[in-house]
Amino acid sequence: MSKYSRRWKSPLILLLCAATLAHGKIALGQQPPDKSAKPAKQSNDSSPDVLLQAMQQELDRSKAKLKMDNVPAPYYIEYRLSDIDEYEAEAAFGALRQEQRFHGRSVRVVVRVGDYKQDSYYGPGVGSAAFAPLDNDATALRWQLWLATDEAYKAASQALAQKKAALSQFTADQPFDDFAKATALQSIEPVAKLDFDPKPWKETLEKSTALFRSDPKMESLTAALRFRAVNQYFVNTEGSVTRSGYTVYFVNAAASTQAADGMRLERSPYYGAANLKELPAPEEFQADVAKVIETLRGLRDAPVVDEDYRGPVLFGPDAASDLFFEMVGENVLGNRPKPGESARTTGDYSSNYKGRVLPNFLSVTDDPTMKTFDGKSLIGSYDVDDEGVRAEAVPVIEDGSLVSYLLGREPIRDFPESNGHGRAAPGQPPTPSIGNLIVHSKQSSSPEELKKKLIELCKQDNKPFGYYVETLAGTNPRLLYRVYQDGHQELVRGAAFDELDTRTLRNDLVAVGNDPLVSNRQGAIPSTVISPSILLDELEVKRSDQQNSKLPEYPPPALSSGR
Amino acid sequence: MFICLFVAACAIPLAALHSAPRPDVLLDTMQRELHRAIGSLEKSDPATYYLSYSVADATSVTIAGTAGSLIVSSEGHRRQADVIMRVGSAALDNTHSQNRPSGIVSGSLPLSDDSDSIARVLWQLTDREYEQASSTFLKVKTNQAVQSAEEDKSPDFSLEAPQTHAGESRPQPSLDRKTWEDRIRRLSAGFLKYPNVYSSTVYLRFSTDRSYLATSEGTALVQPAAISRLVIEGETRADDGMELMRVETFQAASPDQLPSEADLHGKVEKIAADLKALRAAPVAEPYAGPALLSGRAAAVFFHEVLGHRLEGHRQRGDTEGQTFTKKVNQLVLPPFLSVTDDPTLKELGGIKLAGTYDFDDEGVPAAKVNAVENGVLKNFLMSRAPITDFSHSNGHGRRQPGLMPVGRQGNLIVTSTNTVKDSELKQKFVDEIKKQGKPYGLYFEDIQGGFTLTARASPQAFQVIPVMVWRVYPDGRPDELVRGVDIVGTPLLSLNNIILTGDTEQVFNGVCGAESGQVPVAAAAPAMLFSEIEVQKRAKGTQRPPLLPPPGFDEIATSDNANKPVAR
Repeated sequence: MSKYSRRWKSPLILLLCAATLAHGKIALGQQPPDKSAKPAKQSNDSSPDVLLQAMQQELDRSKAKLKMDNVPAPYYIEYRLSDIDEYEAEAAFGALRQEQRFHGRSVRVVVRVGDYKQDSYYGPGVGSAAFAPLDNDATALRWQLWLATDEAYKAASQALAQKKAALSQFTADQPFDDFAKATALQSIEPVAKLDFDPKPWKETLEKSTALFRSDPKMESLTAALRFRAVNQYFVNTEGSVTRSGYTVYFVNAAASTQAADGMRLERSPYYGAANLKELPAPEEFQADVAKVIETLRGLRDAPVVDEDYRGPVLFGPDAASDLFFEMVGENVLGNRPKPGESARTTGDYSSNYKGRVLPNFLSVTDDPTMKTFDGKSLIGSYDVDDEGVRAEAVPVIEDGSLVSYLLGREPIRDFPESNGHGRAAPGQPPTPSIGNLIVHSKQSSSPEELKKKLIELCKQDNKPFGYYVETLAGTNPRLLYRVYQDGHQELVRGAAFDELDTRTLRNDLVAVGNDPLVSNRQGAIPSTVISPSILLDELEVKRSDQQNSKLPEYPPPALSSGR
Repeated sequence: MFICLFVAACAIPLAALHSAPRPDVLLDTMQRELHRAIGSLEKSDPATYYLSYSVADATSVTIAGTAGSLIVSSEGHRRQADVIMRVGSAALDNTHSQNRPSGIVSGSLPLSDDSDSIARVLWQLTDREYEQASSTFLKVKTNQAVQSAEEDKSPDFSLEAPQTHAGESRPQPSLDRKTWEDRIRRLSAGFLKYPNVYSSTVYLRFSTDRSYLATSEGTALVQPAAISRLVIEGETRADDGMELMRVETFQAASPDQLPSEADLHGKVEKIAADLKALRAAPVAEPYAGPALLSGRAAAVFFHEVLGHRLEGHRQRGDTEGQTFTKKVNQLVLPPFLSVTDDPTLKELGGIKLAGTYDFDDEGVPAAKVNAVENGVLKNFLMSRAPITDFSHSNGHGRRQPGLMPVGRQGNLIVTSTNTVKDSELKQKFVDEIKKQGKPYGLYFEDIQGGFTLTARASPQAFQVIPVMVWRVYPDGRPDELVRGVDIVGTPLLSLNNIILTGDTEQVFNGVCGAESGQVPVAAAAPAMLFSEIEVQKRAKGTQRPPLLPPPGFDEIATSDNANKPVAR
């Protein structure tokens, strides 16, 4: 009885989606973890994995029998099952307002028709996904795989026809294959599991957000955590069988206030690690939230950046890692452009192969095989990627010069093979992604020396002060200080950078620090950037064009006594 | 003895403490913060003249299974707060015309009764809503000044008496999750022996809810609610690619009131059997002629075709089709039919009605509305959005949390004075087929649901999705199941083709979706004989059935799984 037109198929799936949306997530509530699924039992013994076995059986059946008249049989089929176990909680103003335990499984099926040179991986042919059973039940899993495989094969036959039609508009022959060959790999890692006690964490969220009481002008103060274990089960018709998993633990705080002129001021620090014990201890997290409130108070009273500035700017390691993630991490990915386009990749570095992209004292490597740095876990680590290819350490930039891209099994010009960087969020198709992106330098200075250099540059330029960026929001400053010639610092607000892009890093980066920071990034695919401070000799800092908001129409509620 | 007395003396205050109504921290905080807000915002420029806080404190469990395994099992507790604000005056405010969404902002409240924290979130939401409502109101005023006068000059909001009521705090029903998980595994495994039921789901959603409403007019309501909904769905595809589906839905307050597992297994078997019959059934041809609708089918038909067009707010605004707006006191149905919408009715013929409530979502007491009396249109289903000649709500302002309320159906009940016994209706149907000289008539046994378009820009059409439709032959041949039927037509014409009804009302409980979201509804009607109904062929998919038989069926050669791929 619906008033609006609905697609005839599967209203239940819509319902499930609606249920998922309504509660943010399909959640396991207060249930103990993994009641129905029992992957834990397989973790450390050598007994065969029920899921992989069922996947292999259905894969073998599909490979042997799947064939439509007048359509070639598949030359390649892969199944990937993603198991997510997740715990999320959020508190606002001292009280918990969300808590969920979620366990979900999905399968993704790719069927390719054609051959490695030219195949159906295009448009509708990139695969189909379905819910997978939470029970380790071979029959139910094979049933879902059966339907998804049928759908994927039919879509692949359409996709190949569409692709050929699209390519017929272009005369040039594609000088690389559609799908890279890869060696079959068997690798069964232990199943990754969440290991935590929710109670102290809930208390930490509540206690830290109760600190709003210390500042009546704090308009919003929330803290949230997300702990996640993901296990991916993979089989393909080339003979690869892999099981790989990871855990990530994140906790963050978000606070906002307004200056007297209405400018909205925000801070949202977060902490991520592969092990729970590396997250800040409760007292430490509370102290950090107190500091956030303190800096927001400072920002409220800070002067606005009214005059345009062009001169030296020093980025602390936190801000620098954001820059390297955005400007290098995104552009070293070997994403193939649309058929018919001549560019090598879709990024800014598409035509920079063997060209200079950074100053010649800098090199960048992506090394997923590195597990720790300076005693800290790297969440971008993995041994086997989500296409069943072994991870490789890839030097992408050597002495400032771009020497390689990060690749999955979709080749691009001059790069016919995967280097183990085909990674996927659960249920999503794989794309080239960074793992652990590490910035190396031949020469480095201590943070103090960098600050001295900043001041020297100011003096040379006859500027009363330079800028120091502690944290960014996107690629604009959030915590920004003026550093005066006598060394004292002044917090400012309302600033934006102008013309900060990949060319800035190539042309204006003059020095780096010896203070590399491990930045474990939030995102559907876990990744890490390790970068030191960097000094740019020229960057424009101007007034942000964001409009100020109105101040609250009436004061916040008074607090009850007794707290 | 002394000790005994001491214990007794102690026990009395303790017992008293437990039986006395606990002070409701949430409601108290809502009221306190609301009064503080309105006290300030009614003096702002532009001024707020109405403010309400509503909180849906809902706990829900969702369990779904397929092929003998669970695919979803989840539990959640959430307190969703909605702040609804009207800026300007009742005559003209920020929600005017298409600006209804500017009246609401939503967010999550703390799950514990932490008054300071709750108040703080409400303040934050209220401030955000004032920003939105006040800027929209200024736009509305500007538009009023430049646009031509509207046809319906009713105010934007009706004045209603405040209500206070705290619903009985009887213990809420509960659900044993483990028991139901296992039951759903077993039920969903029932489809595994049918290779041509390609996909199937058994789905249970159980939610208990306390909804709170506080308004600046003084209304304070607390209403508990509980709903358990079990859905069994099976899907297949005919060899020509037509997607075929059967759904059975069961609804009750408590999970214990749902049918027994044995009965549910029976439904699984029935769905599988129906799908098998449907796969083999011929495709229906376009047809116009006599038709018989079962009571449930007629109920859905009335919900779509008439019910949605009786919703008050659809009589106003330049974009609405307004089928019935100017037909008050005119004949719109055959004179032997009357239609009421009665949310105060709790059950009909022993079946609990899904659209029952005490107060609507604007805090107005639910009332029975005699919408059509002896064929004559008398009234609309009114929220607090007035229309010409209908200046007050009759308790039909409904919504799901997060959306603005509009006039919606509750329990739509069709009654008839021109009846024959249900058992005689089939003969009357055959007589009518013969009288018209048609080769056959169509019997609509079950209808999945439907939709209707009431917007002016689209055709004033409706579509219902029949799933079990039979050709009934006048010469005594057995009835023949057909597939791929869609009923089409325009509302006024179709409704006046009803010539006779059965004598028992059947109930369809369901969920209705419209601009104010999903709300539980019921519709009830007797079986109905139509002199003419028009059907068209349903647009069908082109995807053929799966190429391979399901896993485990390779070696079993049945005619059903030998789906020979067709050359293409």
